[in-house]
Amino acid sequence: MLYELIIIGGGPAAITAGIYAARKKVKTLLICADWGGQMAYAPDIENYPGFEKITGIELVNKFKQHLKNYPIEILEHIRVEKIETISGDNPIFKIRTLKGEEFQTRAVIVATGKVPRKLNIPKEEEFIGKGISFCAICDAPLYKDKVVAVIGGGNSGCDSSLLLSQYAKKIYILQFGPNLTCDVSTREKIRENKKIQVITNAQVKEIYGDKFIKGVKYQDRTSKEIKNLDIDGLFIAIGSLPASHPIKEMIKLNEDGEIIIDKNNMTSQKGIFAAGDVTDVCFKQIIIAAGEGAKAALSVCKYLGK
Amino acid sequence: MEKKPHIKVYSTPMCPYCYTLKEFLKENGFEFEDIDVSKDKKSLDEMVEKSGQMGVPVIEIDGEIIMGFDKEKICKKLKISE
Repeated sequence: MLYELIIIGGGPAAITAGIYAARKKVKTLLICADWGGQMAYAPDIENYPGFEKITGIELVNKFKQHLKNYPIEILEHIRVEKIETISGDNPIFKIRTLKGEEFQTRAVIVATGKVPRKLNIPKEEEFIGKGISFCAICDAPLYKDKVVAVIGGGNSGCDSSLLLSQYAKKIYILQFGPNLTCDVSTREKIRENKKIQVITNAQVKEIYGDKFIKGVKYQDRTSKEIKNLDIDGLFIAIGSLPASHPIKEMIKLNEDGEIIIDKNNMTSQKGIFAAGDVTDVCFKQIIIAAGEGAKAALSVCKYLGK
Repeated sequence: MEKKPHIKVYSTPMCPYCYTLKEFLKENGFEFEDIDVSKDKKSLDEMVEKSGQMGVPVIEIDGEIIMGFDKEKICKKLKISE
């Protein structure tokens, strides 16, 4: 079977693209590994119009239910391994999943979002799940009355710290630079929260522990002194990387690994479009990703002559 | 008649993978004991003891522990065709 469009992703860009494509009667398959993408990990979303305050999971469910109202084929909890072009001028693409299933399509929308950046320091892998977590919303409740550290002083790290303060007795934020880089309103909440201590100019060098994490060694970037910080848990929130690996050999990426798109969301390969945080769109927000998904789907319709 | 599997899911309230796993079990008609480890220290300790780690979700199917929403392993254990 030849699809007209395959959408890869399960976040706001992919789901919105799916809704728009289905409404235009485009023969579409949506393949997603996880519903919601990064949105699922947000404790409270207060900047998506129409919802003054909503949890990430609730918003994901609303998006998902809306999509499933339409007769769109969906393969869920499945990862795409590779995308290949199998013919030239009016290209047909072959998508292969990690399970070995293959699908062919005239157009693709890559909306695979981002994955958390790791520290890439010794023992990080060893302690994932044994005191190291990338998901505060999942694991914060497990650290009741404990001492934890969050690496990262941006919005993600600071939001995680505020969430952790509902459970942990002490939270250290280890920020690489001289200042927190989160939103001003968040910075004020951090300042007012007596459980949170911010340590700036801190570079984490090593993790220590035995069966579970016991602490981190970090360097004070100004004095160069190495210090130990004993903790029960470590949350890593140092940003994310675009999930462009299934396609990186086929299309042009920028120096950050993001897919370069034109104003119609087309990539450097005719017939392959991209939307959301995996692209070089300037700002990474749910509302922007949703808008980009809609735009990509409408561009696909024009490309297909529909 | 094949005996129903005894399933326990250890989870926290807002964890997306926990939610996905529980919805998956419900959609496939499986009943399970839903244990919120954020409210119950004894269950949290039990989960850490059984799984050797602290991440959620953890699913126990007839005594076998599977960490995370490992769809392939879970489908194999529960004989769900993917």
